This record gives sequence, C-alpha cells and structure tokens, in this order.
Amino acid sequence: MSNKRHIISILLQNEVGALSRVAGLFSNRGYNIESLNVAPTEDPTVSRITLVTTGTEAVLVQIVNQSLKLVDVVNVDDLTRDAHIERELLLIKLRHSSEQSEALRNTLAQAGAKILSDDPKSFVLELTDSEARISSFISTIGQHCEVLEVVRSGALAVLSGVETLRS
Amino acid sequence: MQNQPIHATNNGSASNPHAGQTLSGAEILVQVLADEGVDVVFGYSGGAILPTYDAIFVHNQQHVTTHGGKQPMPLIVPANEQGAGFMAAGYARASGKVGVAVVTSGPGATNTVTPVRDCMADSVPIVVICGQVPTSAIGSDAFQEAPVAGVMGAVAKHVFLVTDPEKLEATLRTAFEIARTGRPGPVVVDIPKDVQNWRGVFKGEGRLPFPGYRQRMNKLARSVLGDQECARFWALLTQSKRPLIYAGGGVVNGAAAAELREFAREFRIPVVTTLMALGAIDTTDELSMSMLGMHGAAYANYAVIDCDFLFALGARFDDRVAGDSQRFAGNARTIAQIDIDASEINKVKATQWSHVGSLAEALQALTAYGRKNKLTISTDGWLKHCDELKKKYAMNYDRESDLIQPYYLIEEINRLTQGRAIITTGVGQHQMWAAQYFDFQGPRQWLTSGSMGTMGFGLPAAIGAQFAHPDKLVIDIDGDASIRMNLGELETVTTYELPVKVVVLNNNGDGMVKQWQKLFFKGRLSASDKSLHKKDFIKAAQADGFPFAVRLDRKQDVARVVKEFIEFKGPAFLEVNIDTEAGVYPMVGPGQSYEQMITGDFIPTRAIAKAEEKLDESKMF
Repeated sequence: MSNKRHIISILLQNEVGALSRVAGLFSNRGYNIESLNVAPTEDPTVSRITLVTTGTEAVLVQIVNQSLKLVDVVNVDDLTRDAHIERELLLIKLRHSSEQSEALRNTLAQAGAKILSDDPKSFVLELTDSEARISSFISTIGQHCEVLEVVRSGALAVLSGVETLRS
Repeated sequence: MQNQPIHATNNGSASNPHAGQTLSGAEILVQVLADEGVDVVFGYSGGAILPTYDAIFVHNQQHVTTHGGKQPMPLIVPANEQGAGFMAAGYARASGKVGVAVVTSGPGATNTVTPVRDCMADSVPIVVICGQVPTSAIGSDAFQEAPVAGVMGAVAKHVFLVTDPEKLEATLRTAFEIARTGRPGPVVVDIPKDVQNWRGVFKGEGRLPFPGYRQRMNKLARSVLGDQECARFWALLTQSKRPLIYAGGGVVNGAAAAELREFAREFRIPVVTTLMALGAIDTTDELSMSMLGMHGAAYANYAVIDCDFLFALGARFDDRVAGDSQRFAGNARTIAQIDIDASEINKVKATQWSHVGSLAEALQALTAYGRKNKLTISTDGWLKHCDELKKKYAMNYDRESDLIQPYYLIEEINRLTQGRAIITTGVGQHQMWAAQYFDFQGPRQWLTSGSMGTMGFGLPAAIGAQFAHPDKLVIDIDGDASIRMNLGELETVTTYELPVKVVVLNNNGDGMVKQWQKLFFKGRLSASDKSLHKKDFIKAAQADGFPFAVRLDRKQDVARVVKEFIEFKGPAFLEVNIDTEAGVYPMVGPGQSYEQMITGDFIPTRAIAKAEEKLDESKMF
C-alpha cells in the first residue's frame, strides 16, 4: 500500500492540554505531521486543527480512530476522502533587486501574489493557494531573487457543499 | 398502578440531599466520591492535598456511627504512591468498580504515572486525584510542582486540571463517567490547593459538556447487531468446520463472560483466552482450551494453527499473542472480531466480519439469531481433535525432580483453592506459571499487569483486591525480583490486618530475563542474577509484622506447608526456593509464529521447530 497525502481536520474542545494530547498521539504512535494549523472556530469552546499527514490507507484509518478516542475531540475527518477545498496562506520576504524587479512583478502578478510591504531593500508578499502551488511559487520566486524568510500557515481545508465537520 | 418515583442516581441529581450547601472544594470532592459509591481510597498525604485529606477525615468521623461503626471511606496509606495506584487498580480489576487514589502534587503525582499507564494499557477504570500547587504558583517551578496535565496526558485516558473552582464538582463527576464508559481507563484530576480551599455551593448534579465523547458513547450504545449483520456472521460461521473463539480482556471488562459461555456452549465452540481473559470461561470447562500466545498452552496454540474460523472477542492480536501477525491463525479463512474500540478492528489482522459495540449485547444477538433460525455447526470432529490436543500436549514438567518445581507448588495451592481464589502476580516467569497452572472459575479472579508488564504489581494489587472482597482468599504469587519493587507494601498488609497470602517464588534473580539471556545472549546473565544478594525475605516479612512467615526449601514439605499457609487466618508469607533452572514452556519466540513454538523437555512437540531460522534481533522484544 502506498503512502498518500491526507488532510485531517479535528474539532477540539478548548481544554487544558488538549492540543498537546493530539500532538502527543501523533508522535507517540509514530504518525508524521507535515503541517499543523490550530485556530478558533464559530464556537468559542472549540478549536479546529488542520493537519497534513502521509500514510497508507490502514494508517489513516488508525489516525482517525485513535484521534476519536481522545475525550476532548469533538470530531475528526479525513477531508481528502471527500470533495473539499484546500488553501494555504504564504507570507514571504524577498531581498529587493532592482534590475530584476520588472520580471519579478510579472511573476507575482501571474501567481496572484499581493505585495504587502515594499521598501528599498525588501518585499513582503502574500499568496493564498493550494499547498502544492505555494511550494512551486516559492521555488520559482527563488530563481528571481533571494528568499529571506518563508512563513506558511499550513494547509487549511473545508468540505465542499453544505456538509460540515460538526454534522 | 401508580407510577413509581424515579430514584436519584449517583450521576448527580437535584434531589441530592447536600445540594445547596456551601462547602469547600475539598468537601465537594469527598461528597462526589461518596455519591459515586466510593467505599475506600488509597493514597499518601502531602502539602498540596492536605485540605482533601482533612475533608476525608471529617467525612469518616461524621459518618462512622451511621455506618455501623466503620469508616465509610477508609483512607489506605501505602509506602509509596505507586502502591496506591496499584491498590486502586487491584480494587477496580477485582470489583469492576472505579478505583480511587488520592495523592499530593509533584512526586506524589509522578509516582502514580506507572499505575496510570498500566491501567490504560489494560483498560482498567481508576480515578487519580492529585493535589497541585496553588493556581497562582503553577508554572513557577514551585516546591513539589510537576506538570501533571502534560505528563499524564500522554498516558491516561483523560486528564483534567481544575483551574476554575466552579467547575470542580462537574469535573469530578465527569472523571468517573469517562473512567467507566466505553473502553474503560484511568482519569487523572489535578486540583490546585486553592481550588480545594475555595468555598462555594454544592449543586448535587451536573457534568462537563463533552459533546464529541458523549455522542460517540451514545453511538456505541445504539450500535446493536441487526438481523442482516447476524445473518452475514452466521453465513460465515456455518461454512466453518473448525471454529475457535479467541477471548480477550474485553470479555472481562465488558462483563460478557456469561454471554461468551452461553454462545460457546450453545454452538459447541472451543475457547482460547488471552492472559487478560483467564476466567472468562471456567478454565476447567470442557470447551476451555486455556491460554494462547507466547507462553500459552501448546494445545491452545495448536488449536489456533488448526482453526478455520477465529472469532476475536475483546482481543487485540497483540505481539504476545500474534508475534508473527501474518502467520497467526494462518489456516483461518475467516477472522471475525467484536470490540468496543473501533481502532482495534483491522489494526493487526484484517477481518472478514467485524462489529464495534457492546460485546455482551452482540453475543446475545448472535446467540438469539442462531437459535431462532435453528442454525447449527457440526463441531463434533473438531472438539474431538481439540480434546486429543489437550491430552497429548498437556502442560507438564519434571515431576521426578528433587527440587521444588514452581509448577508443582502452584498445583498444590490450586488443589486447595479449586479455582476460587483471587490471584495477583508480579511480572516474569512466576506470572506465566501462575497463568498456566492455576484454575479460575470466573472473571476478575486473575489480576495481572498484562500489557505494561509492571514488576511490583502483585502485592499492592492484592491489597486493593482484598478491600474489594474482604471475605475472599487473595493470593499474591510473586517473584523475588518483582516483589522487591514494592516490598514496602508488606507493611501495608499487616497495618490493615489484611489476610492477604503472599507467595515468593525465589529463583535468585530475574528468571524471565535469565531465560531470554540463555536463549538469545549465549547465557551471559547481565545484571539478572541475584544469588549473592543478602535479602532474608522471612526476616523482612517478620519485621513487617507477618505472623506467618515460612521458607520452603524441601519438596517433601510442600503439601503440608502450603495447607498451613492457605488455611492461616491472617496475613501470611511463604518464600519458596524453587529450581533456579526452571523455565517457562511452551514458548513462541518474539516475532515468531506458532509453528515455531518450542515446548521444552516435558511437553511433546507436534512439528519440528525451525530452530535454524535466524531471529531478527531488532524485533526481539
């Protein structure tokens, strides 16, 4: 069985140590975490974790079932099993190089990146896209100028249609 | 007829007689314990838990007269908090009720990490209440501070740190609920000292919202086996000629022993049990094929090889049972599995039929469906085969030896106790011998640290079990190395005048470690030989107040001394100097298949073990 990328969404009650129990479950059972995002939701008592992991089908079933055993987990789903929308936010800081700036600006426009700050020495850009396209943007932009700092949110995802993780 | 009023339950009700009273946090804690039916707590005092210890003292003082002159919630003090945790575990394992330990912050709490993990691994419901430094001091590296939520979070079913005193009452009630529902387990409640001293109104009801957990519990409760699933199960079972039930600890924890026996007897299916399930079926029952696994009976393991349908009930194919999971039950065309925990289905072994839910209810449904549709399987030939396996490959040992063989000693105790005693053990050879040679009429008589394999479990677990069953015979079968781990608890036995019987099978060291060193490390006994140790166990037991403390070293004295020991009315200690070369057989090596089982010199082997097959040392654990 082959390892595939999966996006796992976990709704978690805001309790002491809840996040560390989820993170601990992954490290204690040897599941990897490629990216992890935690933030509040529409319900102030619940946070949403979105994490990207890779594993075989059997491992993914274990990840979901083991996560469901954590008492403060409200629900867990492997969003990659259903139609879903995935986005990641990138903030990237680049060193300014005036001779390439025209080509650079074209690349940015093509990718849909927004310049958030533009001083004589550096740019800060914002780009929202899929994880794969963010990665490819970072490597393309690196050919045009020096990348000083990369800040990524990790993948975020939501099911398409009216269905929610709560339902 | 008039409707009867619904009586208040201990889950909390506004009709609680104490509702509306202003109490301290510590008093609220004690009241919730009383409402939950807690009749004994195990624990060691210290600064951060003093308010709670005082509240327990006052509670006992106030209720002693209305309780027939007895304390309603005696506080049993161990030598070390690990002992308190294992006493609570022994109480829980023997009774099926939630065991409770109450300890102080810092070292008190961290000393219970081992029993908490042990309970998690064997699915035993306990609640551990830890004092914590005051809320304002948390995170300041205060005296006797430890990050309990973080440490316990990794090993417990759940951990609470109570920082809002208004939530204390609901938290404690919820802790008991979580400990006993679903797959049972340990819950830790960390309570800062200021929360214990806070005063507020006792509500007498209410639990914390756990929408996800409760939804999953409700789903489990609704998960009944429908006719369609029963039909599918029976279609597979009726194709089978050699079905075998593989019963695990879930049968005991899920109170499904009666349903297991009924199903097995109705349809004439033999049963092998795991270490954790001994007693789920009476070990002397004609359908009982004893324990399977690394040190299972040869005939049990041969039956696993020969079966064509394996029915796993509350069992999880762990590495001590299915060391080589690929080849485990290799002739079984169907593996069927029922478990309360969805993550155990297909975890190790793919199933052709499975059900997640209550074991007792599922077995009832399958039995009813079989009866209703007059379904039968002809297992006569298979049962005859199993019976022949049982006779031909029976447990055996060197009966002619002049030395005391541990098996002989256990057989002698078993002859007197007839499968009625509660047996606890440490971990190692003595544990396996006890599992192999004792009979158990029913569940909850065999208390052992199965998954974690914690040496030192036996003595404190026996103390806890004796509190659960003051009138039953409780015997700790221990090893000289295991008992050393919690030897301080010998004094706890005599302090509380418990009639616990302690047997130390002394083979001068870590017998199981030595066995592995002989098999896999060319006989180099690194750090496992204790023949030069100076300990005099008899003097130790006498010093701790044991009125009966006897050393057995002659075979001809065994029958007489064992009888005196078992019939002794109070605490009794028996050291037995056994054959130090005695081994545990049969043995399926780590990572090996049952076909490679070695049976030793006294049990026949059915096939020649492929001894030349090189073991993968990294998998040898």
